Amino acid sequence: MRAVIEARDLSRWYGNVLGISEVTLEIQPGITALLGPNGAGKSTFMKIITGQLKPNIGEAMIYGERVWNNRRIFRQLGFCPEADAFYEELTGFEFLTGLLSLYGFRQSECRERAEHVLKVVELYDVRHRQVRSYSRGMRQRIKVAQAIAHDPEILILDEPLSGLDPLSKRRVIKLIKEFKAHGKTIVVSSHVLPEVEAMTSEIVLIHQGKILARGDIYFIRELIDTHPHMIRIKSPAFRELARILAPEDYILNISFNQEDQSVIFETHHRDRFFNRLNDLVLESDLKVDEITSPDDNLQAIFDYLVGK
Amino acid sequence: MGVELKNIHFSYGRVKALNRITLALDEGAIGLLGPNGAGKTTLLKIMLGFLKPDQGDGQVLGYDLRKEQKFIRQLVGYMPEDECFIPGMDSVTFTAYMGELSGMPRQEAIKRAHEVLFYVGLGESRYRLVDTYSAGMKQRLKLAQALVHDPKLLFLDEPTANLDPGGRQEILELIGEIATVRGISVLICSHILADIESICDKVVIINKGEIAAVGRLEDLRMINYRLYELKIKGELENFRSNLEKAGCRVEETEDRIVKIYTPPDFNHLEIFRLAARNKLQVRQFVRSQSSLEDLFAKVVGVD
Amino acid sequence: MATIREKGYHHWEGQLLEKGRAFWPITRTGIKLAFQRKYFKFIFSGAFLPAVVYAAGIYISERLEDFKFMAQGAERTLQVDPGFFKSYLSLDFLFFMIILLMALGGAGLISDDFRHKAVQLYFARPITKLDYILGKAGVVVFFVGMLTLIPGLILLIIKLLFSGSFKFFLQYPWLIVSIIFYSILLMVFFTSFVLLLSSLSKNRRYVGVVIFALYILSDIAQGIIYVIFRSPYSALFSIKSNLKQVAAGFFMDKLPYAYPWYLSLIVLLVFCFLSYVVIKRKVRGVEVIR
Repeated sequence: MRAVIEARDLSRWYGNVLGISEVTLEIQPGITALLGPNGAGKSTFMKIITGQLKPNIGEAMIYGERVWNNRRIFRQLGFCPEADAFYEELTGFEFLTGLLSLYGFRQSECRERAEHVLKVVELYDVRHRQVRSYSRGMRQRIKVAQAIAHDPEILILDEPLSGLDPLSKRRVIKLIKEFKAHGKTIVVSSHVLPEVEAMTSEIVLIHQGKILARGDIYFIRELIDTHPHMIRIKSPAFRELARILAPEDYILNISFNQEDQSVIFETHHRDRFFNRLNDLVLESDLKVDEITSPDDNLQAIFDYLVGK
Repeated sequence: MGVELKNIHFSYGRVKALNRITLALDEGAIGLLGPNGAGKTTLLKIMLGFLKPDQGDGQVLGYDLRKEQKFIRQLVGYMPEDECFIPGMDSVTFTAYMGELSGMPRQEAIKRAHEVLFYVGLGESRYRLVDTYSAGMKQRLKLAQALVHDPKLLFLDEPTANLDPGGRQEILELIGEIATVRGISVLICSHILADIESICDKVVIINKGEIAAVGRLEDLRMINYRLYELKIKGELENFRSNLEKAGCRVEETEDRIVKIYTPPDFNHLEIFRLAARNKLQVRQFVRSQSSLEDLFAKVVGVD
Repeated sequence: MATIREKGYHHWEGQLLEKGRAFWPITRTGIKLAFQRKYFKFIFSGAFLPAVVYAAGIYISERLEDFKFMAQGAERTLQVDPGFFKSYLSLDFLFFMIILLMALGGAGLISDDFRHKAVQLYFARPITKLDYILGKAGVVVFFVGMLTLIPGLILLIIKLLFSGSFKFFLQYPWLIVSIIFYSILLMVFFTSFVLLLSSLSKNRRYVGVVIFALYILSDIAQGIIYVIFRSPYSALFSIKSNLKQVAAGFFMDKLPYAYPWYLSLIVLLVFCFLSYVVIKRKVRGVEVIR
């Protein structure tokens, strides 16, 4: 299936300063998370695929067409920037209708769409107040609103959840998932990894201007096979468990946590480990309360790849 | 000792910001949550002594809220949310300056500044101008200036805002460590529930100017013994039908977690047996608790 | 027996000072930051030039015989009397240098704290608004004092030294009081002027420009009003003229403008008072956490 967003050999620099280098990527419909430390090149990449910046080398294409200077494509794109960029004297309503009219909608349609989207982000009651008077969370929501008002097929969201309280975050995440369900393509960048995990498992990790990793979180974890897997088992008989498993050659390391009554095993061979563990649970009287993988999450992958 | 508030009321003109707030907080790490505009910042201002409550009294660290504000501020460290610094100084000078303003003698302030800067991880760069610091470093500097006078109570307002994942991790580790130091209570205001969950043992949830929930995190979340979350390797179908025959309800979520709702007397070993029978590996097994997010939603009463 | 210092956080075993001298670190820091500004040291040294020239003048006037070759008419003009001191302390050039210095090093005193949101850091500490304002004021007081009070007193001492007797002092016993009080007026006025403008904006450069411009414009205002109304009271609109009028009054010299000098004094003091009110309000507004 043809990729929605395609980047081929993208490179962009600012004088001596590197933005991104040789980025080749295909993004399919669904939610893709863009991650990376500050200065890694995320904003540069987003600006290029939304047509705000021209790459020095390479091409960015959406639906097979070049993005740069392509007004037809802009109609399909919704962008929620990280920075605050508003006309403060306008009211929320005026702001949205103004932007919508730039897309060529009729006056009445602008108004309808604005009202609809204001209801969605729950700013309907304050739509006639100036943006200047909006709180941080409200400004964030109106930014999201302007990105979705024209019903684009593709959403590029830079830190969409920052400044929002937990309930608003939930609503926005729900909204994003609804878009996914409608077949849209969404690229989200965020620093708060637990929140990213709640949205998707497709990630693109950018570091020092290059793509460091791409794919499903768990798949990536599998690939990092030089790094042994950690498995934590909580049990009243945690030391006994360790005693039984210690002689196995696939156990690389064992550490205990007395307070927690748990033991952490490090292993290269998860298959063999889990087979043995599952057997043990059933055969012996060793009561096992919890089995978890502490480093099977995005933060651990991130730390490892970015090289802490 | 910590913080004790009795029946605090506060209004900005006609708008009631805080209503009947009664609270007692001790040592340890406490999370302060609430929707925007719920009254968190007002509460913080009152505790720091910037605002006098209309009604009610209280004390912070043994000093009266209304009459002994100066003493309160000697013992409290505040880490603001915004980026704040004084340009043209290096971090030792800055931190020592803040210490002096808290009442430390000059030499002591300088010595302590070095110590604290090493502690927060800015030791190597402490002679550089703060203007040149990255976002993560500025955040640590804010923490350093809050700690320089050895406060008994630390207020942290959105400590991980604007940090990249590496920076967040580092600050959280630092704060987690400080939270376990004897003699310091830490109050954290944050919208990132994962942070609160990882550091705090108690939470206070404020909504519409009133306390909506307060208590230990574990007590507030319901521990639901009848829901297990699993990750498995293998084919789900037969496993699922076996479980359902045994009276359980099975759901698979998006991130490939299998939720099993079991009947009351169900022995969880059954799950392993059925998995083995279906040639599945159980790779994760957790008794589920409702998350802080669910608690928040329930308490703040929406959704 | 060996002990190891443990890793991790250590408490501070020291004692906090009970006496609130919070304004002193603020002043000290402000002075240090002012000196860091580009060209500040250069201009500051330059501002001492008049003092050096006047000191030389005193020396020359005492040793007039040695300088007879320069003496044509010198005897009259190099008369070291109270007017001499007044002329130093209200020198156009001196005022100009003070304004320049403050535009460079004093403009950011409060405005930088607003801009970089440092105000909340200050007030989370046990200092009062007054401490903060006094601390910042101290910076201006320092620089103005170094250029007025100190040289003024030193010039007096030089005069006494070189004339070899207390005759001068006995002739004008009130001179020292005039020097001190006039310097204090300058310190208070310039402090109010600079802190007022600094508290009205977040942008240090903008404040600097306004400090400079307002000083110049007030003179222009006087000129325009004079042209329209032909009244000596037009001098009340100019900062420089007011200061000079009061100087003449304090030093019992001929008044440059035809109205009582205490009117100028009143104008200046009212300005200082109003500035204080505004500064207090402005600092309060940002004191709180957002």
